[in-house]
Amino acid sequence: MIVPLEQILILAGLLFFIGMGGLLAWRANLIMMLVCIEIMLNAVMLVFVAGSAQWGDPDGQLFAIFIMALTSAEVSLALAMVVYLHRRRKTVNTDLFSEMRG
Amino acid sequence: MKLYLALILLLPLSGGLFNALLGRLLPRRLGEVVACGVIWGAFACSVLAFISFNAPEQVEYASWLSDFDFKAPIALYLDQLSLSLTMMITFVCGLIHLYSVGYMKDDASPSRYFALLNIFVFAMLTLILAANLPLLYLGWEGVGFCSYALIGFWYTEEKNATAGRKAFIVTRIGDTALGIAMVWMFQLFSTTSITELNGMGFLMPTGVITALGILLLIGAAGKSAQLPLSVWLPDAMAGPTPVSAQIHAATMVTAGVYLLIRMFPLIGSSPTTLAAIAIIGAATAFYAATCACVQRDFKRILAYSTISQIGYMMLGVGAGALTASTFHLLTHAFFKALLFLGAGCVITALHHQQDIFSMGGLKKQLPAVYWPFLAGVLCLAGFPGSGGFFSKDDILGAVFDQGGTLYGTLFAVGLLTALLTAFYTFRMLFVVFHGEASTPLNHQTLTPDTRSAGRVEPIMTITLIPLALLGLFGGFLNLPKYLVSHGLLSTFVASIPGFSALEHASDATGISLQIIAATTSLLGLGLAWSRYTGRRRAESLQLEDAGLHFTRFFLNGWYLDHLYNLLFIHPFTWLSRFLWKKIDESTIDGTLNGLARITMRLGEIPAGWSNGRVATSLIALAGGTAALLGYAVWSLM
Amino acid sequence: MIEQTIFYILAAVALAGTLLAITEKHPVHAIMYLVTSLFSMAVIFYLLMAPLVAVFEVILYAGAIMVLFLFVIMMLDLGHPEKGISPHWKEWLPALLLSGISITSLAAIIVSRHATVSVCPAAQPIREVARRLFQEHGMAVELVSLQLLFALVGALYLGKAPSPPTTLPEKEVVKSPGEGVTL
Repeated sequence: MIVPLEQILILAGLLFFIGMGGLLAWRANLIMMLVCIEIMLNAVMLVFVAGSAQWGDPDGQLFAIFIMALTSAEVSLALAMVVYLHRRRKTVNTDLFSEMRG
Repeated sequence: MKLYLALILLLPLSGGLFNALLGRLLPRRLGEVVACGVIWGAFACSVLAFISFNAPEQVEYASWLSDFDFKAPIALYLDQLSLSLTMMITFVCGLIHLYSVGYMKDDASPSRYFALLNIFVFAMLTLILAANLPLLYLGWEGVGFCSYALIGFWYTEEKNATAGRKAFIVTRIGDTALGIAMVWMFQLFSTTSITELNGMGFLMPTGVITALGILLLIGAAGKSAQLPLSVWLPDAMAGPTPVSAQIHAATMVTAGVYLLIRMFPLIGSSPTTLAAIAIIGAATAFYAATCACVQRDFKRILAYSTISQIGYMMLGVGAGALTASTFHLLTHAFFKALLFLGAGCVITALHHQQDIFSMGGLKKQLPAVYWPFLAGVLCLAGFPGSGGFFSKDDILGAVFDQGGTLYGTLFAVGLLTALLTAFYTFRMLFVVFHGEASTPLNHQTLTPDTRSAGRVEPIMTITLIPLALLGLFGGFLNLPKYLVSHGLLSTFVASIPGFSALEHASDATGISLQIIAATTSLLGLGLAWSRYTGRRRAESLQLEDAGLHFTRFFLNGWYLDHLYNLLFIHPFTWLSRFLWKKIDESTIDGTLNGLARITMRLGEIPAGWSNGRVATSLIALAGGTAALLGYAVWSLM
Repeated sequence: MIEQTIFYILAAVALAGTLLAITEKHPVHAIMYLVTSLFSMAVIFYLLMAPLVAVFEVILYAGAIMVLFLFVIMMLDLGHPEKGISPHWKEWLPALLLSGISITSLAAIIVSRHATVSVCPAAQPIREVARRLFQEHGMAVELVSLQLLFALVGALYLGKAPSPPTTLPEKEVVKSPGEGVTL
């Protein structure tokens, strides 16, 4: 291992919570929210890969790859929705989408 | 005997149920016939029972209340007292029922009326014939209920309904005392049978007996409208006049006296109780007589006279003169029913005019009413030779015989009351029937064409005649000792414990007392005559119409109602208002409303979060994450 | 030792790129910063003996996904920061607060653990990884492929040209023909 696992975990945590902070802050722009989600997923991938390296088990890498596949599916679908919503509402501000109100 | 007794009770009950359940569906006449028929049937049964009567008898029909050593079967006890009362009640009530047919001929709901009237009789007979206190209490409460329903019979008028409620509530005070006495007696003697209780009085110290006696006295005072629970009876005039007659003569107010007479062997051993009964009786008699002297409502005069006469009966019980009390109870039933029914005729004839000052000169218009009414007046005033004279004099004689300062005073009060009684009775008679009509209204009433509108049904006047005869010659039931060796009633009831205990004074004393009483009565007659007939009539009427200061005091029944208002109703209203406004609305409701408001405010906080926005959910998610992680750190430390 | 240094540099670059990416008002710039960050991540993966993931990171993330973002931004003409609504400073406050609490807590937890023993195992050859993937996780692979298929169908459905206005009663429906771009 190049560095102790703890340091990598802290890096992943930083990235994750930066992404989370961005997610909370960028409520006005759906695309930036998706970007922030990508950041968070990336951080998770980092944890998996670090674990894989720590214990010499390729399963961590496999999960990172799965996450990547999942992300690509999610992003394609989400962006399609963005396009759809933008077409209907002319905006990507999530605060204007409140149809989920109970 | 068993059959007769059962029929005496069951006939009025079935008649009442028949009218209550089917009366509205069947023709009016059928309901009337059934209602009157069952009462006369009960009278026939009581006559048959009288014929086959040998000795006091207790008949048990069924078990009613039974638990551990508490037993109250449906058992009837027939002795001379209950038998004579039963005959009187069924007879008088039968006449009143007949009279009601005429009086209520235009009323809209005769079935309700007759059903209640029948059940009233049933309840009173239950009370009279009950062999144990719970059954007596059942009748006692039944009488109270029926009186409530009948006084408020024309309940569409606020005043009548209020009068009914007043009667119910005031008598309830006495009923509570009776209930306490009943339970206490069971606790003391482990029995509810009246005959057994009467034989066990010596087991208890005098203090206990006195307390029991006072409780029973309160109960009797409530039912019999004695001081201080007398306020309901004058207002009870709101009901139909035959109902007043029934309440006053036969079924309701005499119940208290009957109770005391019935329980006399138990409570009679306490001189304190007897003195209390006598004092209450004499005070009530005097109080009511003074009030009656100035009343101007026809029925209120009679109501106060009833209170006064019941006071005499109580005085008699207090003096230990049970025979005299019973005697007066019987004669009073006859002549008071007569007076009320006569008053009902007059009121009907005058289109429900009850103010005696707007009556006058009815002697010529209503002779069929006048003569029986005169008989009733003579009885009530204790005119020499009438039934009322003998019975009242019996009581006064017994009081005199007791001697001592207390009973001497009471005798004087009784005599004064007799004077007042004669005065107000003849005042009523003279004002209503003699003289000339004094007001324009009356003139109108007496014109031939309008008079026919207020025509008195023949059946109403016919029923007066037997009552008048019984009232006038009721004295023969129990003539004084100097005329016959043994009065009929005295002989009949002599074997009941407590009745024969009295030592009668000498004939000479008896005769002199009679002369005094007769003089008193004639004096009252003379006073009334000089004041309300001839030239002075108009003058006195005008004077009383204007109303004097001291008459107002008597007119309002010594402001007893105001006293009640001041002592009970105002504090109670104040307390209720306080509880309502301050405790209930401010404190309890306020707390609840406050809690609800706080809950609502609390609820609005998370409710604002469900605004459907993604950002809110995300913040909640992030907040949850932060909280979980923070908690993990917290637990690490 | 040199690897360690490189790791720290890369970590710094990744953090800086990410931070810049989320604070940048211009979406295209943000994507660019993120691509930078992702590249450094890819190198970190490589350093962590996961060359396959590193390669995919570059190809899929930095290549395909970010390009997709760029494409959508440009297609919807969102590349103007003055038109878009960037977060007000007040909106950063809860984000900063919650993220701060979380990261502090996480760091505290990680630090307080006993340091893991660095075993330094052998690198996993790609062949081994592939065997593991297709032999042991074949079902997962199939599921992910199904998921991708569904995403494809969904994206096609959502992106197809809007139906005539009668079937879409909402006023907000844009009816101009220029907007009907099929993805």
